[in-house]
Amino acid sequence: MNRLLVQVHEVWLETLMSAFMSNNATTKQTLFDFSDILFRHFTWIENSCIKYGISYDYERNMIPIKVNNLGAILHDIVARLNRVVLQLVVCDDAALSARIAQDIEYLIYALNNIPDEAIYAFDMQRAIKGTELSEEATDALTLFLFEESYKEYELIMIYNYLKTHSSDINLARIFQILIDESFFHLKRFGQMMADMGILGVPRTIAKELYMVEDITAFLENGINEELLAKEECKRLSSAVSKESEELAKFFDFINNQENYHIALMKEALEFYNKALDVE
Amino acid sequence: MDAMLLEHMMNPKNYGVLEHSNAEGIGKNPHNGEKVIVFLDVSNKGDFFVIEDIRFQAIGCMTTVLAGSIITSEAKGLDFDKAEALVSTTLGMLDTIPSEEAACSEMVALALQAAIDTYKERQKDIDFPMITYKIAQNCTPKGEDADE
Repeated sequence: MNRLLVQVHEVWLETLMSAFMSNNATTKQTLFDFSDILFRHFTWIENSCIKYGISYDYERNMIPIKVNNLGAILHDIVARLNRVVLQLVVCDDAALSARIAQDIEYLIYALNNIPDEAIYAFDMQRAIKGTELSEEATDALTLFLFEESYKEYELIMIYNYLKTHSSDINLARIFQILIDESFFHLKRFGQMMADMGILGVPRTIAKELYMVEDITAFLENGINEELLAKEECKRLSSAVSKESEELAKFFDFINNQENYHIALMKEALEFYNKALDVE
Repeated sequence: MDAMLLEHMMNPKNYGVLEHSNAEGIGKNPHNGEKVIVFLDVSNKGDFFVIEDIRFQAIGCMTTVLAGSIITSEAKGLDFDKAEALVSTTLGMLDTIPSEEAACSEMVALALQAAIDTYKERQKDIDFPMITYKIAQNCTPKGEDADE
């Protein structure tokens, strides 16, 4: 089952990356939708692992995505999906296996009908359409995007792990909101990376990060990291404000969203502290 | 930022866990908990040891991943003498680069040295535990207080 989880993890991320690459609005939306479906498959399989007492992890291989044409990566995604279907025979949950297989049958059909297009997501031009950024601002933005795209992926995986292992409805609600927020950020940052020609798959996450041993320390550190991210957003907004009002407003928006994340994390922290007091 | 650096950022080389490693080492920043683990697959060629394969994993920033990608690419295929010379050269250059970048490079270099030393110890004791070295550099940029 863990092998199946790894395969779905990889094809989910590859599909998400392919959505960033496309410059066709319909194709892009389709690929985003498909990546969302595959992420849900990932969570279903994870829940099934827990249900059947099967150990699993978030390990995966590096995913090569550098292509010149969308057709090349779609071809690879289809090949991966076919391998997932073959691997479904090991799934202990027959109903789940059938549901995923049915979804994949349609995904493969639809992916085979997506028109090909040239890809510019790896050309390293680091230009943003309609905006002239200084070299310093471009370098700062580049580093920010690599740092934060990984960070958002990391947060999705950690919150997902915590949610999956939480039996409290209110905590599950908090973690789901944080997952959704991180998905939004990851999608925006990933799209900016593709537009700048520097798209890369977030690196794998170390086991000790998501298998959180001290959840209160994790949340306290997380709140501090959100505060640092706010400062970074302020710095970036200020650095690009002269050249791009749109980018500056975007970073102000992200900065303000961090307040909400901090409030949610404090709410979760309060829950865990109360639980510790009871013990 | 040149194309070579961007390439390492987009596709970090040798990132991940090496399942068949026979030595591992950690470089750790005691100030903030960031760390790098290096996995080695070493072959014994009689009088010398060669790094046949190498991987690293980082709990740290993008600059650490960048340093890991570059240093492990250089180390792959080297014998221990040359790999230790690479560690020395890296450590010797730390004064010439900004402190936050120096801390990242030091962490990777020390993780590589720790893995090499672990392998040497395991020639005498096969169960010798993975060695951890702590960095001396502070990750905080000059002019900023670490506690701020």
